[in-house]
Amino acid sequence: MTQTTPANGHLGPDQLSAFIDGELLSSEAYEIQQHLTDCHPCALRVLSATQLKHATARSAQRFAAPPEALARLTTQLRQQEPKRIVRIYSFRPVAWSAIAAALVLAVSLIGWRQIHQANTLSTELLDQHLAALSSGASPEVISTDRHTVKPWFQGKLPFSFNLPDVLPADTTLKGGDLAYLNGQPAALLLFTIHKHEVSVFLTQRSGGPTIRSLSGVRSGFAIHRAMTKDLRIVAVSDVNPADLDLLVSALVDAQLPH
Amino acid sequence: MSSHVNSSSFEELALPLLPSLYSHAFWLSRNHADAEDLVQEAISKSLRAFDSFQAGTNFKAWIFRILRNTFLTSRTGIAVSRTVFLEDLPDRPDTTDASPTPEDHLLRLDNQAVVNRALDQLHPNLREVLLLCDVEELKYKDIAQILDVPIGTVMSRISRARRTLHHQLKLQLGESL
Repeated sequence: MTQTTPANGHLGPDQLSAFIDGELLSSEAYEIQQHLTDCHPCALRVLSATQLKHATARSAQRFAAPPEALARLTTQLRQQEPKRIVRIYSFRPVAWSAIAAALVLAVSLIGWRQIHQANTLSTELLDQHLAALSSGASPEVISTDRHTVKPWFQGKLPFSFNLPDVLPADTTLKGGDLAYLNGQPAALLLFTIHKHEVSVFLTQRSGGPTIRSLSGVRSGFAIHRAMTKDLRIVAVSDVNPADLDLLVSALVDAQLPH
Repeated sequence: MSSHVNSSSFEELALPLLPSLYSHAFWLSRNHADAEDLVQEAISKSLRAFDSFQAGTNFKAWIFRILRNTFLTSRTGIAVSRTVFLEDLPDRPDTTDASPTPEDHLLRLDNQAVVNRALDQLHPNLREVLLLCDVEELKYKDIAQILDVPIGTVMSRISRARRTLHHQLKLQLGESL
């Protein structure tokens, strides 16, 4: 740090500022401390400058952000962030994932459709899950924060739901999207369990078609369903069925009144 | 961009800085509506430019620089930049105070209103550097990055800002010193 030491042997103004701002090397600071023990005028100047520094900070802090402005800025930040997560993915992993997912989609659908053509609801579920896997188009809301994902659905669906405070081990919320399942509006929640993709569809229980027969394993994909007082929950994934159960149970528990 | 930055969410880094960004934006624009607009725009720009943020460097300095540049291109910022600022002249050989007694260096700073007034009257360029140092507690090298000036200029501006403030306070407090 460049020093300005006046000819009279006292601290220069730049040197004094650098000292109180902690910008000097320890050897330089030590020299000044030694000087201050012997020089009353410089010690007073350091004291005065330190007081002024604190007074400046106090004075500047009188213009704090109003809570409502901070709330708006926080909302803006949180709304923009999901889009960013998509952008920071490098191209190569996305390309490989898309190719792999497309292969899974093609192979699975060819085999699966031949066997289960009659079960249109299952087809729809798997189609939507595979579409979510392969989509270059990301879901509408991408966030690991349940406080971002859940509010996003407000006003878009004729029902509401809760997300668990704590997810099972190695289970991560990735985001959400709107979906239609057998003509019913559905919340599509996307999770990963041990890097396996999971699609969870939440629909209203009243008035919808029964999907009791859906649980099981179809074309290598586990489909688990559960009911709560108001909701139907269907989860689709190629993860270990026991792990999928844990997630479905956590979602069911989250709907219970606390 | 490094994996470190990839794993750090922009939100995670920027959210704790919102109060500071707003407060600094207010000091730049001197208006609450403009301050909020400035921060909003700075957040959008930072988010778009986040890929260029270097891991291991100071995020606060990086986003404050974007905030400042956003201000400088705003209507208020352009007007402020037209004000004359005789910049960064070297200090005179001996600028230590020639007050009659050392005790004259001490200011009675218990009158906050007077301090507020003196800070308000400080030239924007001097006030800006002082706020970055005393309020945001940024290091000189980070302030130099924000203002896009050499570190020596930061040092001399801070020193000059404090001397000007000291002088203003002495004038305003008069006999009470």
